[in-house]
Amino acid sequence: MSTVNTQIVKESHGLPKIAIGVLLAILLFGIFVVGYDQGQLFSLVEGQKAFDDMWTHEFYHDLRHAAGFPCH
Amino acid sequence: MKTIAFILITLVSGAIAGTILGLINQLLVEPYIDQAIAIEVQNTIASGEPVDQDEVVQYRLWQKGGEIVAGTILGTSISALFGIVYIYSRDSLPGSNNKKKGLILAGIMFLVIFLIPALKYPANPPAVGDPETIEYRESLYIGMLVISGFTALGVALLYRRLGQTRKESRKIIVPTIYVVIIALAFVVLPANPDEIRISSDLLMNFRIVTTITMGIFWGVLGILLGSFWDAVKPHETRAPKLSTV
Repeated sequence: MSTVNTQIVKESHGLPKIAIGVLLAILLFGIFVVGYDQGQLFSLVEGQKAFDDMWTHEFYHDLRHAAGFPCH
Repeated sequence: MKTIAFILITLVSGAIAGTILGLINQLLVEPYIDQAIAIEVQNTIASGEPVDQDEVVQYRLWQKGGEIVAGTILGTSISALFGIVYIYSRDSLPGSNNKKKGLILAGIMFLVIFLIPALKYPANPPAVGDPETIEYRESLYIGMLVISGFTALGVALLYRRLGQTRKESRKIIVPTIYVVIIALAFVVLPANPDEIRISSDLLMNFRIVTTITMGIFWGVLGILLGSFWDAVKPHETRAPKLSTV
């Protein structure tokens, strides 16, 4: 009697909910930072100063225009 | 399902495609942004405000660097959505390998979440947008994006559902529903309120070239994720089985 190791390759589409949650969080955070933030993110640390500086708006300014996000 | 591998190839594909977008924009889009910024500077000088030209040059270099970083972040974010949609639609997509399937889905998503919203609210260069209306314009743009995205999701589910009863007619019914809803949204949603005071040449060239670079981004993203998918096969699960002979 001998023992044989075989491998079965199964196809599965079941994406764990946690993975979907992680990816959706990355999607929303990234789009907000690059496309919409007007100082909200840094205001968590800097307060009102962040709304005056609008660092993320200025730094990501050119891609905002180039990717079609509303800007000024 | 190799979940970690799936997340990794999804995010890496997006980061690479987004970085390429930022780099290509340096060559193709920046000349138009520079022209528009020059108009803004002239307007500032005309209004009597002093402008330090050296400071403007340094600031623009900083912003051009920011565009590449922004490309990496945007690419990674969009790819997060692309990966989720790909895993659920892969079996329904035409194409003999994942590279072709990825490219086809990228084409559909470019249409749904970039081109259709851009036809209603096109990209504008600097010197066009009014700071006072930015939140209103953001709401309109998100509204169009959400309508297009969720309508596409709805008709995709309907397409799958009609697979057994109306296999042929669904190919006409489903796109027609999408077109009718988008046409209604185009009519109902208000226009961009900002007045355009720059030349139509600059405006149109900017819009055409940004559409091309976003198309390149989506194409690269589809091919990259498909290529990684073919190499890693994250949908497969290897289950060791012991058998006694």
